[in-house]
Amino acid sequence: MSVLDNISVQIPYNTSVAITGASGSGKTTLLGLLAGLDSPSVGKIQLLGKEISAFNEDQRAALRLGNVGFVFQSFHLIDNLSALENVMLPLELNRTSKAIETLAHTALQDVGLENRINHLPNQLSGGEQQRVALARAFVNRPAVLFADEPTGNLDSQTAQEIITLLFSLQQRYQTTLVLVTHDDALAERCHQHYHLVAGHLQRRKLS
Amino acid sequence: MTHLLRQWQQAWRIAEMRLLFLALLVSVIAVSSVGFFTDRADKAMQGEASQLMGGDLVVLSSRPIDTRYLAYAEKLGLRSAESISFPSMVSANDKMQLAQIKAVSKHYPLTGVVSVSDNRSDAGKRIAMTELQGQTIWAQARLLIELGIEPSAQVQLGQMTVQLTQVITAMPDQGTALFQFAPHVLLPLDQLPATGLLSPASRASFSQFFAGDADKIAQFKTWLKPQLTVSEKIRTLDEGLPAVEQALNRGKRFLGMAALLSVILAGAAIALTSYSLNRRETRTVAVLKTLGASQRLILQRYLSQLFVVASLAVLLGVSIAYLVQITTLYLLQDAIGQVLPPAGLMPIISGFLTAYIMALGFSAPQLWQLTKTAPIRIFQQQTVLSPSYAYIAVPIVAGIFLLMWMQTQDMVLSVFLWFGTLFAIGVFWLIATLLLSSLRRFRYITALSLPKANTRIALLVVVFGIGLFSLLLLTTLRMDLIDRWQATLPEDAPNHFLINIQSNEREAVQQLFEQQQMSAALYPMIRGRLVKINNMPVSAEDYDSEQAKRLLAREFNMSALDTLPENNKITQGTWFGKNLTSGFSVEEGIAKTLGVKLGDSMSFDMAGQIYHAKISSLRSVRWDSMQPNFFVLAAPNSLNTQPKTYITSVYIKASNQDFIPTLIKQYPSISTIDIGTVLKQIKTLINKAAFAVQAIFSFTLIAGIIVLFAALQSQKAERRKEIAILKSIGASRRYLRNSILIEFTLIGAIAGFIAAVLAVITGNIAAYLLFDLTPTVNLALIAIGVGSGAFLVGIAGYLNIRPLLKVTPVALFQE
Repeated sequence: MSVLDNISVQIPYNTSVAITGASGSGKTTLLGLLAGLDSPSVGKIQLLGKEISAFNEDQRAALRLGNVGFVFQSFHLIDNLSALENVMLPLELNRTSKAIETLAHTALQDVGLENRINHLPNQLSGGEQQRVALARAFVNRPAVLFADEPTGNLDSQTAQEIITLLFSLQQRYQTTLVLVTHDDALAERCHQHYHLVAGHLQRRKLS
Repeated sequence: MTHLLRQWQQAWRIAEMRLLFLALLVSVIAVSSVGFFTDRADKAMQGEASQLMGGDLVVLSSRPIDTRYLAYAEKLGLRSAESISFPSMVSANDKMQLAQIKAVSKHYPLTGVVSVSDNRSDAGKRIAMTELQGQTIWAQARLLIELGIEPSAQVQLGQMTVQLTQVITAMPDQGTALFQFAPHVLLPLDQLPATGLLSPASRASFSQFFAGDADKIAQFKTWLKPQLTVSEKIRTLDEGLPAVEQALNRGKRFLGMAALLSVILAGAAIALTSYSLNRRETRTVAVLKTLGASQRLILQRYLSQLFVVASLAVLLGVSIAYLVQITTLYLLQDAIGQVLPPAGLMPIISGFLTAYIMALGFSAPQLWQLTKTAPIRIFQQQTVLSPSYAYIAVPIVAGIFLLMWMQTQDMVLSVFLWFGTLFAIGVFWLIATLLLSSLRRFRYITALSLPKANTRIALLVVVFGIGLFSLLLLTTLRMDLIDRWQATLPEDAPNHFLINIQSNEREAVQQLFEQQQMSAALYPMIRGRLVKINNMPVSAEDYDSEQAKRLLAREFNMSALDTLPENNKITQGTWFGKNLTSGFSVEEGIAKTLGVKLGDSMSFDMAGQIYHAKISSLRSVRWDSMQPNFFVLAAPNSLNTQPKTYITSVYIKASNQDFIPTLIKQYPSISTIDIGTVLKQIKTLINKAAFAVQAIFSFTLIAGIIVLFAALQSQKAERRKEIAILKSIGASRRYLRNSILIEFTLIGAIAGFIAAVLAVITGNIAAYLLFDLTPTVNLALIAIGVGSGAFLVGIAGYLNIRPLLKVTPVALFQE
């Protein structure tokens, strides 16, 4: 049985795309495939012009490095690293710049956490943790950002703040955003909205 | 440096890394302090043996020793001393006594001490040898008793009148000369010519003693060997008298085994901690992969963290180990009674190797597996990988073997213990699983893990069990083996050898013993020179081995017996019986040296008569039994026509000091040898070894308790969740506390039971294979195992989990 069936979708640069669907409809599987976290059994996927479905795991990782950012529902900060160290991580892995600490510092400033840089994840609130995650996702100016239910674990007010921040950063850095969500209102803020039903993708018109 | 510091800081924030560090630290402390200790104790034991010899290397000869030897030794920077000894009569008050005169140079003894007293009954004190000068002599108490004199008396020695100023209470270089039966007299070497006693016809024995650095001694020995004439022989620590050598080796084996057990314990702690670290880090690896990190990069990251953690554990561990052993030795100074020689570099190196072998062997394979985590797992709630046990187990078992071999430097012992450990783990796992599944029907006794998490509990039983097993095995080895060995050398072990008992005196002497209620068997002693093997003439020149050359150059002391002496064991062939009226039973070591085997024939020249027979059995002999032992035994009655004397060993109470003088007066030809001193020295040696093992035992105990805590800590998260759930559905604190106590006490008792049974079995196998002792079942040890297991694990488990009982269920969830 296939989770996703006969899907064809093209996401242009510098746009935002929402994927909605009921639990178990295959949203997360699709996101994982688009980001190259997994390989499809059948079919082709291109990311940034490269056919990643033909890549092995390390090749896909190399492509993500510095080009792709992630934001998760449960934040997935590394709990033995401080806020600053978590944000520095993508830069360290990419080994692109020497001034990584300054860059990470600026990224945390952008999300309003300049006073919490040395705190460990368990010393931060849920909203703060997601801000750190946003800073980590945007710190090396990725071409594409994948977000999986970024507000799923937050109260409505904090969720609103995070969404505002997410879109403002996306626009500022002209990042392509692929967003998986349950929230139709949130989906409405994107340039395109797709809905997954039993493994089939349907494009929805924006109101 | 900043990078390393940050890595350390980040690693330290992970509870499991802290535990890993702690486990590595404990193992380094255990291995290195044991190393420091065994190194020093080993050197002390070597020193003890060298004290018995009076030097590190001794050249013995029946003629004056070539002065070139001394010249070369001086060139190498070795210290030297000499002695000339010979039997001579000493007289006073018209009484005469045969004494063993030893004329010694001023630096004698190079190792060991001469203790003296100024009266006959006091314990000895050490005074400088320089006080032995001019026309003075020191003598063993028996000479004074025989002559009926007190210290400071004038005695006649050859042409010289000398003053006997001190009574010798202990001296080296007599253990190596058991059969010098007369009391010893020390005389300054420069006074020897004045006595006029030494002539070319004197049966004198010349000794040159050398001492210095081990490598210089080895260099000297290599140079010296080809120079020696047939009449000269050398004696080093490795070739000392069998009793000392056996005691030394036994001590070393004990220490090696004790060290090994702490290694196994530490290994259990590291493997356990790495396992939980692996489980914990799966999500982090998935995050790193989504961020674009390759498998290689992630592995690098973890390995460098591991390297930093291990290096710090080594630095800190070795330093603490050094302090621990210094402090322990300082505190136990009086008990040891001597300053141990300083340790070498080896314990530091073994600390280093232990930490890296453990970190790599026990942790790295799990990390390698961890780096294979698929990034897609980031979206899955259950991010914990189920590890491939074979993948983890192979490097661990290999690592354990490497550590064992490193620790014991003994391949046979390592293989034996390695299989023992693997077998123990398997048996533990099997028995634990069986016992636990049968306990499932009693699920009402505890609401906690027993009914649910069999694998987790089995893991705890295995870990606790191995810890307890190590401790109990060490206990059984220490209590049983040392005691059992010492029991073979009881307080009333023979302390005197009586030799040269004439055939016509035999019955009268036997009666005298019976009157005094002494038990002593009289063995006939016949002297013979080996002249032929398999009818081919043999001589010293036919052999390369020094020992074989010596054996052929002198006469054997042989005996003919109808029953096998108690401390002998037939290893090949059969003992003489009704059907076997001729033949030889040869000690297996000497058979190997001479290159003879069962069925070969040997011919001995006994006072001009040739006696020829086949070897009908080979024997092992306990040389340290303090009983008369013989290299060659002939069939009973086969040597009836040969001239013989009798020999025996007997225990003479301190209160019965006059027995020997009375005996000698009645039978002047009998010579006696006081081996009480030799015995005392051997006992001291064994006690020192036992003490060292006891000290190591306490380190192992600490390591064991930390393993226990590591195991509990690694399961704390699951326990926390469990308690939160139970609390949220209304379980009271009291109920939970009781459940925890019951659960852990039960686990401890099960682990203790399995551990004790296995320790008894392993201990007996070790006792039989390595120490030649008969197996016994120690029921008390099994009781101790169950009791201490239940107590230790119950208390440790309760203390570890008690803080969780105070927390509200909500807080538990938040954590």
